[in-house]
Order: sequence, then structure tokens, then C-alpha cells
Amino acid sequence: MTRKKNISNLSETELIALAKKDQKYFGPLYERYFEEIFRFIFKRLGGDEEIAGDITQQTFIKAMANMGRYEDRGFKFSSWLYRIAQNEVSMYFRQLKKSYSVAVDENRIADLAQEAELEMNYMSMDQQEKLVEILNSLNESELELIELRFFQAMRFQDIANIYNITEANTKMRIYRLLDKISKLWNERK
Amino acid sequence: MRKFELNKDKKNLTPTKEQIKRQKRDFSRLHHDYEKLTKRGKKPLYRDPKLFMLLFIIGIILFLLFLEE
Repeated sequence: MTRKKNISNLSETELIALAKKDQKYFGPLYERYFEEIFRFIFKRLGGDEEIAGDITQQTFIKAMANMGRYEDRGFKFSSWLYRIAQNEVSMYFRQLKKSYSVAVDENRIADLAQEAELEMNYMSMDQQEKLVEILNSLNESELELIELRFFQAMRFQDIANIYNITEANTKMRIYRLLDKISKLWNERK
Repeated sequence: MRKFELNKDKKNLTPTKEQIKRQKRDFSRLHHDYEKLTKRGKKPLYRDPKLFMLLFIIGIILFLLFLEE
């Protein structure tokens, strides 16, 4: 009882230090971050509950197994979990023999069009389809960045933490991608 | 491989509280799965040639020492 009470009073840094020594202390971290990571994976899969549940469990098992290698570099602990989740989902997509369809909301596509300055006030269904087609022609790493920024609505700093790069570098990569999308859009006019 | 498509069916892309609750396993079960995946069972002696040889050599040395005496 006293032990339980003590654990719940510990700071995140102390919990991480304990979990590094013994995985059974990983519990409070799992409780704290399950929902956040599940939401992230659920969205990346376009709303597939069962697969999202399995990949979330896999993410936490991987995190437990690699706790010893975790280093606090001033980023949030959740960034490290997001990185593992991101890899797990990408690995799941790579292993599939058939292509997997991920649903994207219209307003997310509209936000992307606006950021890429595609010059339009209103997007017709055909134009939305065209933009989705352009997205599908990008490579995996480019798609991941678009997903994190526009479909997961993540901040540049959070994306930078996941990839272990600087915020300026993240911005540069995303703006270059938006330029590329804009060029592809104009070529297909 | 994945492909994007417009969410024409208006599928909910944010999980509900029920979905989160349904998918969240108890930590003891997760820990059990972790143990099952990471902890390998002990190899029996006859399937570990290195350990077998080591014990055999120690046995021979002890036997020779015993004969010397």
C-alpha cells in the first residue's frame, strides 16, 4: 500500500529511472500515455480500432524492452513513445501485401491546400481527389511528415522531437514538401 | 503500403471513450505479454554444446586430480 502510494507520487523522471531498472514500474507510464498514443495510432490508421489497439500494445511492449536505452535529452518522454509508435505503424504498412486505405477528412485536405497555397477559395470534390492523388504519389517519408503536421495537427517542435532533428530543419522539410505539392498541382492543371 | 482516400463515409477518425476503454489492456497483462516475448526459456544442457563442453572439461580435470592423489 505504502509502496503504491509512493509510486503514484513520483515524478516522471523518477518513474523512468525506476522503469529502467525493472519493467514492472513501467505501469504508471503506460497508464499516463496509453490514450495519447492510441489516439495517434488510431488516426494514422484512419480509424481501425482493432489494429490500432494491437499496434498500441506492441508499441508499449517495445518501449518496455528498450527502456534501458532511453536517454533523457530534454525532450518529452512522449516524443520517444511517438517515435516508437510511428515506426510500428510504418512497419505495419510495409508488411502489408495489399495497399491499405487511410481515410482523411475533407477539412484536413483543405488545410493542406491552403498551406501549399494552391490558390482557391473553395475546393470541389474533384480537386480534393486530385490533391489526395498527389499525396499518394509522394514517398513514405514525405507522407509521414505531411501526416504528422496536417492530419495529426502536430506542432513543428513535437515533430522535430520525434525525428530527433531541429525545429528549423523540420520546418524546412515541410515547406519544401509543400512547394513540391504545389508544383505537382500546377503540372496537373 | 498505404494510400490515402477521402473520408466520404464520414468515418469517425477520433476514437471514442468506449473504444479507448475497450482497447486498453490491464498493465499486468501487458507485462505478462512482455515477459513471454522477451524471456527465453532455459536451454536444456544437451542443447547447449558450449556449456556441456565446459562442464565436461571441469569433470575431467576433477577426475584427473582425484587419480593423482
